[in-house]
Amino acid sequence: MTDYEIHELMTCRVAAEVDNEGVTVMGSFTPLAYASYMLAKLTHAQDAYLVGFDAVGMAPVQLSFTGAEASAYKGAVCRWGMLTEINSIHLANHGGVEAVSSAQFDGSGAINLSAIGPFDAPKVRLPGGAGAAEVIKMYRKMVAYFGNHNPRTLVDKVQFVTGTRWKVGDRSREEAGLQPGPIVVVTNLAVLVKDDDDRPFRIESVHPGVDVQTVVDNTGFELEVPADVPTTAEPTQEQLDLLRNRIDPFGTVKFDFVSGRERLSYLKGILDAEWNRAAARLS
Amino acid sequence: MSSRTNGKVVPLENLGELVRDGESVAFGGGWFANHPMAAVRQLIRAGRTGIHAITVVGSVDMDLLAAAGTLGHLSFSMVTLEAFGLAPNVRKGIESGSLPFTEYTGLGLLIGLEAQGRGMPYLPYRGPFGSDIPGRYPEIYATTHCPFTGEQLTAVRALQPDVAIVHALRADAEGNAQWDGTSGPDVEMAKAAKRVIVTCEEVVDRQVIVDNAHMTKLPGYYVDAVIEAPFGAHPTSHVPRYAMDAWELMDYAAAASDPAAIAEYVAQIREETEEGYRARVLKDRDSVLSALVDAAELIEGAQA
Repeated sequence: MTDYEIHELMTCRVAAEVDNEGVTVMGSFTPLAYASYMLAKLTHAQDAYLVGFDAVGMAPVQLSFTGAEASAYKGAVCRWGMLTEINSIHLANHGGVEAVSSAQFDGSGAINLSAIGPFDAPKVRLPGGAGAAEVIKMYRKMVAYFGNHNPRTLVDKVQFVTGTRWKVGDRSREEAGLQPGPIVVVTNLAVLVKDDDDRPFRIESVHPGVDVQTVVDNTGFELEVPADVPTTAEPTQEQLDLLRNRIDPFGTVKFDFVSGRERLSYLKGILDAEWNRAAARLS
Repeated sequence: MSSRTNGKVVPLENLGELVRDGESVAFGGGWFANHPMAAVRQLIRAGRTGIHAITVVGSVDMDLLAAAGTLGHLSFSMVTLEAFGLAPNVRKGIESGSLPFTEYTGLGLLIGLEAQGRGMPYLPYRGPFGSDIPGRYPEIYATTHCPFTGEQLTAVRALQPDVAIVHALRADAEGNAQWDGTSGPDVEMAKAAKRVIVTCEEVVDRQVIVDNAHMTKLPGYYVDAVIEAPFGAHPTSHVPRYAMDAWELMDYAAAASDPAAIAEYVAQIREETEEGYRARVLKDRDSVLSALVDAAELIEGAQA
């Protein structure tokens, strides 16, 4: 067995959903999603068509907080703006895979990125969904990832529906003019899949060392539990080498898994490394 | 003849006279990229109040305006400080009820701007069905049907900002404006607004624009004022000139959640000129912020 950390297993599992069909627009710099797309592009999905910021058809880039945007443009074949992107990709049914995260997620596939508590006078005002409301409905695959699988995040019903898959089963999606494809949820405990309007999410696999009951106990919505639940594939040495040495040498993905007081110092460490590399070019 | 003799070119100090209290203002840029931050700072210096800001994916621009008391209303689809957390002053304003807001879906906001830019009262699309957002705003979102097939669609009412402020790489005196990297929603905002202010890294002669005509995203007939503002997107990025200043953003985020510290941060901006801001914040760091763009790497040998 190779030594790996949970964010690396999650990155590999999200990457497995990325294929050569359709276009993926990456939006905000979300390190785990970015790393997954790059890993897919360097391994099994070399023709995956990626858009980062307004850079269309970008080459695989090394992840960094300050450089992700600039590197996206360096290898891209086209520079659009937001409206051309939504008209040409999202609304024209070219969207492939979209990996999102949210404050709340429920058993119907709805996400809440708007508010905890009353919408008009919230206890916590969240950032808002940007294009997620439309994107998770229209893209062929919806992938949601959560670094902390618990019943406060994976809830029975979100308090506010910022967006939802709307139709889930392949047939009902096609009848509604949408691309057929599943909802895949990747957490720090398990992989959950929903591909039928009338059936709940089922546990597709549990990660090594996690038992099924732990997953059920930490999920706020109903789960279908197959008689035999396999174990999620562990990252291979090749995947780990790519992630650690070529895709994410600064460790940006792990930042989202560092909690509390260590978070700021971890971020400062990454930024120092980025600064030093850039400053070295000037001397 | 210098291009600066044209009446559209004005100094940043005049910005406060081009935007009136209570007007709706669309701010360009997205994520931590290319927000018109020099203009944001100048509106604060000018003491503008009651501004109805419109942003697609806002960040430090909206939070700073909220902290300075400039905003009367915020229309947005997302405002976030990403790795640095939620936007504390936007969050506080909405949670306390002191900042009225309209939350759009991302595509809905762009389509509202597009409708206005095309002279349409609304545009239909296959909307965010199942989202709770449209039902909150019947004056913006409606259900309509395709006249040919009967398919249910979402209609978004045209959105016309009084002013759009966008930050370009360069513009000439006629307002012909070019972007190289991230332009985000800038062009749609400019086409929808009654008046357009372009801030830019540099004002250039028309011939520079002509020589790079493929980079012109906004022709001058849309543009009312051109303002030269070097490092005008700082601390957000303006690729390919400079990367985002994560260090200043980290300092901002730390100050933003502390009422005394953010009051001091805003007071500092109010009492200095934009030139003073650059001297204070950039010090000799401008070359490293530019070098970060060069240092950003592709993964060698990988297929595009």
